[in-house]
Amino acid sequence: MTNKTDSKTPVARQMLRRGAVLAAVFGVGTLALLLARLYHIQITDHAFYEELAISQQLRQAPGTVRRGVIYDCNGNILAASASVDNVYLSPAEIDANGEDRELIARELARILDLDYAGVLEKTARRGSWYVTVARKIEADKAAEIRAFKTEKGISGVRLETDSKRYYPNGRLACHLLGFVGTDNYGLEGIEARYDKALAGTAGKSLRATNAYGGEMLLRRYGEYRPGLDGCDLVTTIDASIQYYVEKHLRQAVRDYDALNGAGAIAMDVNTGAVLAMASLGDYDPNDFLAVSEEARAVIDAAATEEEAAALLAAAQARQWRNKALSDTYEPGSTFKIITLSMALEEGKTGLGDSFYCGGSTNVTGRTSPIRCWKTEGHGSQTLTQAVQHSCNVAFVNIGQRVGAERFYDYCEAFGFLKLSDDPDASLTARTGIDLAGESGSIWWSRNTFCSPRNLSQLAAASFGQTFTITPLQLITAVSACVNGGRLMEPYVVQRLIEPDGSIRFEHAPKLVRRVISESTSRTVRGILEQVVGDPKDGTGRNAAVPGYRIGGKTGTSEKVSLEARTGQKEYIVSFIGFAPADDPKIALLVFLDTPSDQSGIYISGGQMAAPVVGRMLADILPYLGVEPAPEEKSGTKMPGCLGLDLPEAAERLEAAGLRYRTRGSGSTVTDQLPEAGTEIAPGTEIILYFDADISPELETVPELTGMSLNEARDTLSYYGLYLNALSSISDPEKQSVSAQSIPAGTALSHGSVVEVTLIDSGEELLGRY
Amino acid sequence: MRYDGARLAGLPDAPAGVSRPRFDGPFFVLSMLLLTAGVVMVLSASYPRAWYDPGHVTGGNAAYYFVRQFIFAVLGVGAMLLASRIPMPLYRRAAFPFLVLTLVLLMLVPLVGVKANGSRRWLGVGGLTLQPSELAKLAVILSFSALICRYRGRMRSFRCGILPFAGILGAIMGLLVLEPHFSASVIILAIGAVMLFLGGVRIVWFAGAFGAAAGGITLLLTLFPYASSRLRSWRDPFADSSSQGYQIVQSLYTIGSGGLSGLGLGGSRQKFLYLPEEHNDFIFSVVCEELGFIGAALILCLFALLILRGFWIAFHCRDRFSFLVVGGVTSLLGIQVFLNVAVVTNLVPCTGISLPLFSYGGTALLIQLFELGIVLSASRDIPAH
Repeated sequence: MTNKTDSKTPVARQMLRRGAVLAAVFGVGTLALLLARLYHIQITDHAFYEELAISQQLRQAPGTVRRGVIYDCNGNILAASASVDNVYLSPAEIDANGEDRELIARELARILDLDYAGVLEKTARRGSWYVTVARKIEADKAAEIRAFKTEKGISGVRLETDSKRYYPNGRLACHLLGFVGTDNYGLEGIEARYDKALAGTAGKSLRATNAYGGEMLLRRYGEYRPGLDGCDLVTTIDASIQYYVEKHLRQAVRDYDALNGAGAIAMDVNTGAVLAMASLGDYDPNDFLAVSEEARAVIDAAATEEEAAALLAAAQARQWRNKALSDTYEPGSTFKIITLSMALEEGKTGLGDSFYCGGSTNVTGRTSPIRCWKTEGHGSQTLTQAVQHSCNVAFVNIGQRVGAERFYDYCEAFGFLKLSDDPDASLTARTGIDLAGESGSIWWSRNTFCSPRNLSQLAAASFGQTFTITPLQLITAVSACVNGGRLMEPYVVQRLIEPDGSIRFEHAPKLVRRVISESTSRTVRGILEQVVGDPKDGTGRNAAVPGYRIGGKTGTSEKVSLEARTGQKEYIVSFIGFAPADDPKIALLVFLDTPSDQSGIYISGGQMAAPVVGRMLADILPYLGVEPAPEEKSGTKMPGCLGLDLPEAAERLEAAGLRYRTRGSGSTVTDQLPEAGTEIAPGTEIILYFDADISPELETVPELTGMSLNEARDTLSYYGLYLNALSSISDPEKQSVSAQSIPAGTALSHGSVVEVTLIDSGEELLGRY
Repeated sequence: MRYDGARLAGLPDAPAGVSRPRFDGPFFVLSMLLLTAGVVMVLSASYPRAWYDPGHVTGGNAAYYFVRQFIFAVLGVGAMLLASRIPMPLYRRAAFPFLVLTLVLLMLVPLVGVKANGSRRWLGVGGLTLQPSELAKLAVILSFSALICRYRGRMRSFRCGILPFAGILGAIMGLLVLEPHFSASVIILAIGAVMLFLGGVRIVWFAGAFGAAAGGITLLLTLFPYASSRLRSWRDPFADSSSQGYQIVQSLYTIGSGGLSGLGLGGSRQKFLYLPEEHNDFIFSVVCEELGFIGAALILCLFALLILRGFWIAFHCRDRFSFLVVGGVTSLLGIQVFLNVAVVTNLVPCTGISLPLFSYGGTALLIQLFELGIVLSASRDIPAH
């Protein structure tokens, strides 16, 4: 019902006023408010929001750059990177395209050897655009996945380029090299220390994407910033020397059941360049997470999963630890080289000095006398003999002549400690080698050490106890003692080469300081050569290599703190050698942590470590081109007897000093064991065959360790096997077999030669020195 | 001298016999400018979502939303012109039947409505969807205007000035709570208040109403947990920018990216699925990103001019009903524009309010243009100067 008057009612003034208010509010007020707000967001805070928006719109894919190659000093590749693929799923796309999840899961599980249910679960993570399935897969598997994608038209399975580090020599030099984690970061050793140089600068490819990671339509925006490849790195490591060192060290750990592994360092005495450095137990950097079978067995036997995980982590940490760099130990008698050097330099002793050892000596501040390892004493001895005998009593005397203050000064000069302004601070130092993970030494504070009321610290330090240092510190200092007195800073990286071939960095040997004079060093070399070279008095004689002049010093240190804690006696046996003794090129330190006497070998540096150094030097010195002095060979060349009749053959064998037995009943020799030209021990019984139908058979190698030379020779010949000794034979009666080249239990054909290492285990050598 | 909007638009003159004076040119031109800008922005903002089609709606047709919006815009202009020809007394007669129809439709929603995002707000008819709450806004304007005219002189009393209006609002609110539809409730309450304000209700009632509204909002926030969590993400959207605050944070990125002059028409990057609802509730953010502060300010100024012109028409209306309806429709436009832009700029808590003439949504656009047509109809009654 329209009310005419109603509809024509004029608008009241009040209404107009109120309308004007609303017009002002909606036409002006809110407009101003909104404009102010927009101004704030769009102009004032523009940069803030723009940056956040762009950062979410641009996806950054790291461009792959080549990680630098690591070479040894002769250009052999120790580590190199190759391109591999990561496999990931895009469940959102699988979903969007209706792709067969089960088919995808089945195929990926088959190709990558994965659990089907696990992959299927990943395909079901709807809405996700990136679920990793496998990382760093090999090229053939990637090709298989590509073929599957193409064949079935699958877009939800993706591959992306990644790089993988390869170590072509497996375990060789693993602790020096370190390894690279899944994110391509160097995690240990050189890989960690030189990560920045090796990694280069990653390139970047930027691309505009939609919120789900797909292409931004019509707004293609892409930018590629090329990266810079990593530097190649040339190390001072010599792969051959490293190989020899590891081979013999591994053998030694097996021979002596070294419970806590072993370590070795080979150093160029003149430059401080590390030629080789080994630590056992070790690992394969290609698969650095895998632990040894023994460790795996222990882990598998763990009761709970947490326990197993903890055991695994501990085993991994143990195998990654570079004992030569990270372990500290009491060096024991090898440290006498340092005491000797400082005393000679200070003029506190000389070659004409004589010392008397009655088996023990009293020291101010000690309730019990310090005993020499030889309880009945060494009697009267020259300085050279004191070193040869490794006489503790003589060295306590020498140390006291130097005095505690000067002793500490020299220890600082040799790089074992860094003196502090605080005389009560315990002291430490590192060599500064360019490797990650170097430990520092631990020394008494100067006040404790230099107390005139208590000389026991000085006395024990004189023969290498009551402080701990790293093996690397010892070999660095000993190198200075024998190279003419120059302390060099040890290093492993010789040069860095830019991708364009230019040299980014070249290491110049760095002289830390001159510690002793050239003439003192010459004297030290002469004395130390007598330790190895003297078959009568030298406690290091088992390190001798026929034809070479080798100097060195033994060491056996008890883990005193461990004994104090557990009452258990554990030892680290070591030997530090250098060669040639008159003009040293290489120093070599071997230490065996906690060897067992189950092998029948007396636990001492002279019995266990010295022969290892000898074996290493026997391989390394010829490799380095050091000419051996002509010397009569211990082995005999097997003469050729084929086609001879028995009397003729017998005459030849007699001339060669060999015995024989015959097999078969023909008239001429049809075959002989061993072959002509083979080197075998004199007096060996060889076999002559007089029947072509009788042929050599397989024999099992017997256990020889602990036998005398003659016993070993006869045992082998009983089996139709032959022996050759690696060491010089000075006194066959006193020598015994400490290691054999072919382990017992191996099947060998008749006539094969087993090389054995002989050590002198004469009674006067049985002691901890 | 007046512009003749009908002739400007190239429309044939009204047939003889039903001929009425021409409608207001500026209001029509401003409406058409904004509508054109809105449809273009729907194309720009919606094509990525239409092309990627993450919700499996468009079948990958990039023009999907645009084509639909364009068709409804054409239909809407038709509806506007139709509305402009309907004489004002007819609207007054239709006010209460229309209110009843709206209430019936609102009652149907909870029963047979289409459910989306946890709410039942739509009625579906043969592929088309309709939000009866959109109709309710117009119903409130028309019925309140009619009632205010009926109670002329008695508006200051409680019995006439408050009670019937409160009854209508109460009924609509009650039905909206069932859906639930918070933002529509707010707009309807606001437009109801505007109508009563224009109608001459005593200011003191508004003070009381504000108090009641505050209490009501508190009650709503406790009743609807989703509303209170929105309040939290309003105060610090970056605190949970990946969940609750995601939408508003993305909106701020979008607006802020535009800077002074914007990335250029079509140049938005945030519309590539980063910004949710980029072609309806948050289309203004894309406007800001593409056209910059300058473009966004221009659009807002056009809205302001349209609103001011609406009030200009209201002030020149010869009768109360027309004044009230034009003032109401114009205020509704102002309320919606303000709330929408305030939401996308995080000036007020995030809730779904569309931007008139811009946001994607066919039936809503149709209704909005029809409402503007009513203003045009009223403008015909204004005597020439």
